[in-house]
Amino acid sequence: MKTLLKILLVLAFAGASHAKEIKLLNVSYDPTRELYTEYNAAFTKYWKGKTGDDVNVSQSHGGSGKQAQSVINGLEADVVTLALAYDIDAIAQQAKLLSADWQKRLPNNSTPYTSTIVFLVRKGNPKGIKDWDDVVKKGVSVVVPNPKTSGGARWAYLAAYAYALEKNGHNDAAARDFIRKLYKNVPVLDSGARGSTVTFAQRGIGDVLLAWENEAHLALQEFGADKFDIVTPSLSILAEPPVAVVDKNVKRHGTKEVAKAYLDYLYSDEGQEIAAKNFYRPRNETIAAKYAANFNQVKLVSIDQEFGGWAKAQQTHFADGGVFDQIFQPQN
Amino acid sequence: MKKNKLWLATLLGAQLAFNSLAADNTDTNRDSDIEALKQQINALSQKVEALENQQTANQQAVTNAAGGQIQELDQKVRVLARERELDQEAAVAAAKAAPKLSVGSSGFIASSADSNFVFRLDGLIQVDSRTFFNDTAIKSNDGFLLRRVRPIFQGTLYRDFDFKFTPDFAPSSGPTVFDAYGNYRYEPWLQLRTGKFKTPEGLEQLQEDVNISFNERSLATDLVPNRDVGLQLWGDINGGVLSYAAGIFNGVGDEQNSSNAAFENEVELAGRLFAQPFKSSDITALQGLGVGVAGTSENGTSGTKDLPNTTGGTLPGYTTDGQQQFFAYNATTVANGEHWRLSPQGYYYYGPFSLLGEYAISDQGVRNTTTGAEAYLHNTAWEVSGGWILTGENASFNGVTPLHPFDPHNGQWGAFQVVARYAELDIDNAAFNGFANSATSASAAQAWSAGLNWYLNKNIRANASFSHTTFTGGGGAGTVSPAIVTRQPENVFFTRIQLAF
Repeated sequence: MKTLLKILLVLAFAGASHAKEIKLLNVSYDPTRELYTEYNAAFTKYWKGKTGDDVNVSQSHGGSGKQAQSVINGLEADVVTLALAYDIDAIAQQAKLLSADWQKRLPNNSTPYTSTIVFLVRKGNPKGIKDWDDVVKKGVSVVVPNPKTSGGARWAYLAAYAYALEKNGHNDAAARDFIRKLYKNVPVLDSGARGSTVTFAQRGIGDVLLAWENEAHLALQEFGADKFDIVTPSLSILAEPPVAVVDKNVKRHGTKEVAKAYLDYLYSDEGQEIAAKNFYRPRNETIAAKYAANFNQVKLVSIDQEFGGWAKAQQTHFADGGVFDQIFQPQN
Repeated sequence: MKKNKLWLATLLGAQLAFNSLAADNTDTNRDSDIEALKQQINALSQKVEALENQQTANQQAVTNAAGGQIQELDQKVRVLARERELDQEAAVAAAKAAPKLSVGSSGFIASSADSNFVFRLDGLIQVDSRTFFNDTAIKSNDGFLLRRVRPIFQGTLYRDFDFKFTPDFAPSSGPTVFDAYGNYRYEPWLQLRTGKFKTPEGLEQLQEDVNISFNERSLATDLVPNRDVGLQLWGDINGGVLSYAAGIFNGVGDEQNSSNAAFENEVELAGRLFAQPFKSSDITALQGLGVGVAGTSENGTSGTKDLPNTTGGTLPGYTTDGQQQFFAYNATTVANGEHWRLSPQGYYYYGPFSLLGEYAISDQGVRNTTTGAEAYLHNTAWEVSGGWILTGENASFNGVTPLHPFDPHNGQWGAFQVVARYAELDIDNAAFNGFANSATSASAAQAWSAGLNWYLNKNIRANASFSHTTFTGGGGAGTVSPAIVTRQPENVFFTRIQLAF
């Protein structure tokens, strides 16, 4: 009888080791929809050729902070491709879904492409906006998302802050006053970058949109170059959107190998080309040179140099009771 | 503007008329007068032009101011509209994040927005009647009864942890815990359950109480365990194409429902494999085919707790469809050593047709505590049951859902199903060598049943059935079961009203 039971168990577990359909969930930030739609198609083809397996990659997009919170709350992301390292740090620290040293796993601090913040203005630039000083002038209406929920908004805030520091001899009080003036010009705060693009481009609100560089180019493509102009300020910030495998989720899903390959492939020539074509600045120098015409020259400061890293910047500026909470007054 | 020009023309005309009347003035005087008039006219023209320019400028200023205000108002309106849009989006997002509560045919369900936490309240009430015919030897066995009264609490915690708690208030002995277990669901194909639940053995026994075809399960179920306390690894592979279960339990006698604690040195091992090989195929005629085998094994059985239940009598034994005991071990008989069971089983569902069958073997070591005699009994049983839904619904192991729920105002009557069953149970003849009384207990029973099930809707069912059981052996002198039961065939008419939600 015991032999029979053993046979039953062996048969049961033999049946349990069947192959599973490969599904991946990429939880990303707001403006990467087009990038990953194109990239997923390329990776699916690559993976099929390499392994013979079909992989179906699903995308989830929203404000980077909100997306990170969703993963912390249980959204089963296999990989996260968010706007800034702090949001992935939050997943590592609060939900323990990946190790704290996740950023060392891939080249360039796990950021396969970079970007920056530029201005999108209405055609002909009727308000004459050339640099950050113009953005804080009275009567200029500025559209930018909420830095509490949007990674792009945090980059924009820090770009403006860095400019104000440099202009005022690193006088922090002057920089705060500059930021206060800027947000006084903001009539509505969206939760994510794509929402702000809708506010500015489709709803016709504001004189200038503080936008991801790729999002600004996308707006030109989507809504017409006869409607908007891109203005590159004299100084902006080096935005490094990182990527990471969510260890515990891929272990549970059995997708560790394909998830790692998915992120590795972002560094391949094809992955870098797709990033550049979607107006993300590629890390690969050869491909960056090939697409140099897509990107205006601008002085870029890094968050590490100017703000002491994301943890410090988050605590100082965006945590509850931080600088943003102190200077921002809703207009209504 | 026009008024100014008219005024100038009038003035000029009057001056000319005056000149013609004063024709006798000198030429010099006339010339100087004309020059003076010209200067006056020029001055007046300049004034008129200045007035016109001023008026145009004023109008432009008014236009510019209005334009700015309109643009400002336009932006304010757009901002308000966008804020309203964002508020609506936020409201939708908040609604998605809010807990969900639903009340319907599936019971009361409260769930967190992400469904990681679910609480569900179901219930089962069965009101039966049993009417026996031609049972002159037996008195006072007809009547109504509450067969099952069970609130069912179940749910999920932290997405992967399930629980179920089912007390039953029907037993006359007082409330009894039937199911009380926790289940960790790593994946559907790999789950771990611990607590009190059904031992993975008999097919008919594993079918939910709300879905069995007749009021009572068949003779084959007499030889399988009911619920037991233990630990089970189990899962459904490929959506149930293959299901497995392997567990360690305290071990119980046939058809026994375990107490909540049982301390002994030996445990019972149980395992089951069940395949529905065509479940996911395109061959619709075979999608409802399932076959499997299950077994249990325990080496150290002892006492009466490892013998069958005492249902329908005072000693451990086996019961008829009418829940009357037709076989009983002697009071001096106890379980002794090895007890194993094996049950090949299967079903087939296709459209309104259903067929279910199983074979059960229960080999039990016994000992006479008076004589010290021992025996190893080989008891067997089998059953086959079938059904046909007259109103065209699909039959399934998980019940019937009427296409047209009962609503006489609109000419809808629910679903009707006819069912039939045949079952046998055979006791090892060695049982009558000092372990049971052949004069009073039957050595075999054969039962056929037929019935009509009326599914008013998904939650309410009414059924009626007739069961006829004959016995081999027994029927001797005695005033209690099993003698009075085996003295004549059992003929019993069942009815049931069932509310399940």
